[in-house]
This record gives sequence, structure tokens and C-alpha cells, in this order.
Amino acid sequence: MNAISVSTTITTRRRQLVNVRQHSLLVAKSRVLLVLMLFALVAACALLRIGYVGVAEPAPRSQSMADALMPARGDIVDRNGVPLARAFNAYSLWYNPDALGGGTALVHKPEEVAAALVRIFPDMDADELTARLKSGKPGYLRRRILPEHANRIHELGEPALEFPRENERFYPQGSMAAHVLGFVSADGHGKVGMEEVFDERLTDPASRSKPAMLSIDARVQGALEDELGRGMLESNAKGAAGVILDVDTGEVLALASLPAFDPNLIDEGSTPNIFNRVTNQVYELGSAFKPLTVAAAIDAGTVTDIGRRYPSGHPLAIGGFQIRDSHAMGASLNVAEALIHSSNVVTAQIADELGGPRLKATMSALGMDKRPYIELPARGFPIWPSGNWARITTMTVSYGHGIAVTPLHLASAYAAMVNGGIWRPATLEKVEPGKAPAGHRVFKASTSARMRQLLRMIVVYGTGKKANAPGFRVGGKTGSAEKPGAGGYRRSSLVSTFASAFPMDHPRYVVIAMFDEPQGTAATSGQRTAAWNAAPAIGRVVPRVGPLLGVMPDETRDVDISDLAPLIPGANGGHE
Amino acid sequence: MNLTRDRVRSIGWAFVLTICGGLLLALTFRVNAVKSQVRLAERHLVALRQEKLFLETEFEARSNQQQLKALNDVEFGYEAPRAEQYVEGERQLVALGKARAPGAPAPIRVASAATAGEEQGAFPAMVSPLTGKAIAAEVPEGGPRKQVDSATLGQRLARINLSEAAPE
Repeated sequence: MNAISVSTTITTRRRQLVNVRQHSLLVAKSRVLLVLMLFALVAACALLRIGYVGVAEPAPRSQSMADALMPARGDIVDRNGVPLARAFNAYSLWYNPDALGGGTALVHKPEEVAAALVRIFPDMDADELTARLKSGKPGYLRRRILPEHANRIHELGEPALEFPRENERFYPQGSMAAHVLGFVSADGHGKVGMEEVFDERLTDPASRSKPAMLSIDARVQGALEDELGRGMLESNAKGAAGVILDVDTGEVLALASLPAFDPNLIDEGSTPNIFNRVTNQVYELGSAFKPLTVAAAIDAGTVTDIGRRYPSGHPLAIGGFQIRDSHAMGASLNVAEALIHSSNVVTAQIADELGGPRLKATMSALGMDKRPYIELPARGFPIWPSGNWARITTMTVSYGHGIAVTPLHLASAYAAMVNGGIWRPATLEKVEPGKAPAGHRVFKASTSARMRQLLRMIVVYGTGKKANAPGFRVGGKTGSAEKPGAGGYRRSSLVSTFASAFPMDHPRYVVIAMFDEPQGTAATSGQRTAAWNAAPAIGRVVPRVGPLLGVMPDETRDVDISDLAPLIPGANGGHE
Repeated sequence: MNLTRDRVRSIGWAFVLTICGGLLLALTFRVNAVKSQVRLAERHLVALRQEKLFLETEFEARSNQQQLKALNDVEFGYEAPRAEQYVEGERQLVALGKARAPGAPAPIRVASAATAGEEQGAFPAMVSPLTGKAIAAEVPEGGPRKQVDSATLGQRLARINLSEAAPE
């Protein structure tokens, strides 16, 4: 019995022990399993991540190449693709006084740093710079500096002088074609020129990757500005303007207004020069209008004979006003001589015969009563005699007084006069071949042919001799108008113009040069009239631009003036 | 272990499947690696293009019309060619190389004496703007000489000077 009870006790204990062991084994196993599962989960996560990265790889979402290369603002190029304005990561010079982390802003003395900067940029003012460096205010010291300058500034060892690269508008050609291009103001919008006209197109992401193409030819523009600048210096003029226009399409190949401004650097000093003399300023252009009057008269049939003589010996008295010539030209002149010697008296008589309404209609058809047709925002409104023109108005308009237009008006009118009689609006956008605007007819083709002869004769025998570039068959007319001032015209201040086209046997381009208040200097033989400043400028521009525009000089060709040459004494009755 | 045919077959399939899966994974990894290389290359291209644009703009700014004009005024003085410097067409161009026709006037010959500076040829030697010497003069004394062929032999013989001829 005892034995039995003992054994049962033992058995019970052992059973309990087994239970405990089993239990603790189970616990241990479940813990191991838990840890294992945890590891497995981590491993699975890692594997999944690896798989995800390897397979899906969202990676930094890179932009396409086209997006990355798209400029912040579209480029503007000339007709041959030469960039005139471009978005550019230019360096600028920024002064950061906290760069050294408190204390003094600069390593060297402000005076030394200012002197070093002036050595790099000679146009900066040392005292002003010193004051700015001393003031401890952050700010731009200069915008748009060349990498070379950035390197030299870096060599100064001043951490406070930083040169961040900023997206800027850059004009590689400097002040060239500044009036055509305009500039981009601080708010990022274009101002003045084609920058303003194209603003939407240049900033629109859909269209800005394609550059806007102008009708300007950079080489021609350069040559025109260069020669106008030279003429301006030689004649000591206040300003100059010039335009080269394609007579068949109305494309402006070059448009220059001097003094120019640099669109890379707009400051107070350059602001007055932003005014565009070609499209915004109206001038009484004087005798350059005479061919237009003669063309209107030939067209209307009131002049049928170029050899008909008009009295020119005395001033023409009309309504208490006297129309006189600059010098005596003899008792009578024919139409060709009147143009060659630029006679106001004879032109006034021709206009009188033509009558006010017809002259007005012609001038109106040439767009002289409206702002010039061009894309530029700055366009001047002509001074245009309204109502029915009185006799005196008709007569003064015939020789370019009492009517004030922009040089661009004159260029478009001359283009219509020589291209067969079709007037077309001027444009600064490149016109694809065959897409030229239809325009409207102002003169008959026969009138245009006659005017080519007459214009050529003015250059061969008359006041435009200095514009006669050998082989280029230039034809044109001088105009020297007195500027109106207080109490009538001022005899001492002139606007001298030469309006021309070449080659006269098949006119392709109109070239206008105008000088504002030229003086008589040694270089212009003491003369102030267009024959001595504007005409020589044309004579130098045409040989430079002609070959670039596909007009080769050829002395064996010319417009045939043999039928008119006998009208000119001393022309030997034949072709020169 | 009792490997029946069915069991072997299923193990085989599983093995093939694993291999294929592994290959697919490897291929996908490879494709993505290449893609990322392409992206890097693209980024490099963009950077280079921007650099090119930058240099191009700098070049254009330095060689703009006004700079070229100033350079021409100071250094070269080139002018627009005159009418007689143009050739009218192919015919005129060809005529320049034609033999003189019988009975045609003899070309005007201008008497000239070769000056010391001109013995190299008809054109004056280009002068280096740095040294002020003719470029040809910068070739060292014992430097490589121009190949003499039948056309230039006469010119070469005419240049033999006394120091070279003396040892004979």
C-alpha cells in the first residue's frame, strides 16, 4: 500500500515535471519562431524593396532633355540664325557681408577691394564702391560679368564677393540693333522693341524653344550702324537714323537709331537713347519728298513730258508766302533738272497742277497719314495736314514741308515708288519666299520705271553724286529740311536725309540715312546739307551691304537713262 | 527517399521556374541599370550643351560686330571689294586660266627685281602679332624643311647661299 502510494506520488511529480518541460520547450520554440518570423519579415521587406528598386525604380524623376534645355525665355535670332538675344546663365557680382560669419565683412580693407574691383571694371567708381562695401548691406555690385572677370574677382580672395549664376537676358551684339530688340525689364517682360512684341511667344513653354526669327541681317545692321556712326561723328550731328528695306517684301534688313543704348546695361544715362528715331520721331523730310510728288504727277498724267520747262527764275509768291530755292538755278528748268538741282519752285508748280486732292490721295495711299506699319510698339503719328489741302499746303507738302513723317514712312514710300508701284507694310519678321503681303498699288508700273531713271539721274548728275557707289547703280534723292523752332524755321538746324534704292536697273533695297542737326565740319567740307553727310554715308554703306544681300557691283549694267540724258546739259546726251 | 517519376518532374519544373525567375530578375535589373546609365548620359549631355551654349555666347559677345570692326580698323583695314574685284560668272573665271588666243595683245609685263623679303614667294609672309616676326622666321635653323619637288626645285636652287656652297 505504502509502496503503491509512493510510486503514485513519484509518477504524479514526474508527470508534472514533464508538463513543465514540455511547456517551457513550447515557449522557447514559439519565441524562436517569433524571432525567426521577425527576421524573415525584415528579409522579405528588404528583398521586396530590392525587387521594387530594381524593377520599378521610380528614381529621381528626370526631365527630358528638351525640357532641361528649354530656355527660360526664347532666343531672338536674325534672318540667318545669328543670336541677337538669348537666355543666358550669366554671372553677376553679389556682395554678401555675412559670408565670413559675422565680424568684418571683408578680409582686406574696403578701399583696397574697391580699388581692385575698379582695376577689373574701369567704369566703376571707387568712392561709391568703398561706401557700398563699408555700408554692410548685401546687394548686386554688378550684373552680367564675364567668366574671366569672375576668375579675377575670385583671385582677390574675398568670400564676401560672390558671383551667382543667374538666368539673364543677354545680347551678344551689345548695342547693335538695340532699338529693334528692346530689352527685358526687371519684371521679366520685354520692353520697347521686339522683346515686347514677342513677349508672349518668348515666354510660352509651348513655343519658346524655337527662336523668334527677325528680318534683320546682323551683318547689314552692323554696317549701317557703323557708317551712320561715322557720318554722325564727321558731321557732328545730334543723332542719326537709317533703315534698309527690301522693296519686294517690306522686310526691314537693318534699322538703326543713333545714339544707341546697350540693352545689357539699362541705366539712367541710356534711357533718353531708347527713343527710336526711325519709327517714333517725325521729321519734315524736305526735298526727299520731291520724287514722290513728281511720281504722283506722272501717274496722274499732269506731267507727260519730262522735258517740259517750268519757270524757276523767281521765287513763287503764294498767299503772302514765298517759295524760293536755295540757290539760283536759271530761268527755267525741266522736270529732270528740277529733281537734279532740287528746285522747290518747280516742284511746287508741278504739285499745283496736280492739285491738292490727288497729291493728298497719293500721300495717303503711301501711308503718310497713319502711324508707320511695323511691329514695333513705338510708332510716331505723322503731322498730317487735315481737311482739304489749300494751294499753299499742297505746294509745301510737295517738297516735304508742312508734313512730318518718320524715316520709315519715307522708306516704305520709296519702296513703292521703285518696285513697280506696289506699297507694302514694313515688317521685322522674316518673310518666307512667296509669302510677301500683296500690298496695294499706288503708282503705275510705267511711273515706277520712269522714277527709277530720274532717281538714278539725281545720283549721276545731281546732288546725290557722293552716294554713287561704283557698280551698284544707286539712285536717290537728298533732302535737307530746316527744323521748325520758335517763330518759324531755324536756318541753322537741319535734318538731312538721303533716300535711295539700289540697284536701279532692278531695285532690291531701299536705303535711308538721316542726320539730325549735322554741322559743317572739315570732314564735310564745311557743309551741312544732305549731299555732304547723308549721301556719302549711303555711298559707303551700299558697297558694304550690297554683296551681303546678293547685289554684286557691276559697272557694265545700269538702268537705261539714255532717253532722258539729252535733257541734262553736260550729260553728253548719252549714257554715262 | 522514394523519388517517383512524377516527383522528379515537378522538382524539375520548379527548378526551371526558379532559373527563369532568376534570369528575369537579373534581366530587369540589367535593364534598369542601363536606363539609369542613359539618364546619367542625358544629364551629362544637357550639362555639356549648356556649357557649349555658354561658350558660344561668350564667343559671340567677344566677336560681335563692333569688336570685329574695331579689330579691322586697327589691324587689317579691309574694305568692301570694288566692282572690278568681282568675277561675273563661270565664263569669266575660266577665261582667267585660258591660254592666250592667237593674235591677242601680249600681257603687260612689269619689270621687277626680287627684293630680299620676297624670295619666299609672291605673298608677304604672315607676321605673328606676338613676336612681330614673320611666322616662317620662327622655324628654327635646323628645323624641318619643305619638301622639294620638281615645281619648287628651281626656287630651292636659287636660294643656295655662299655658306652652303663654300665647302665644295
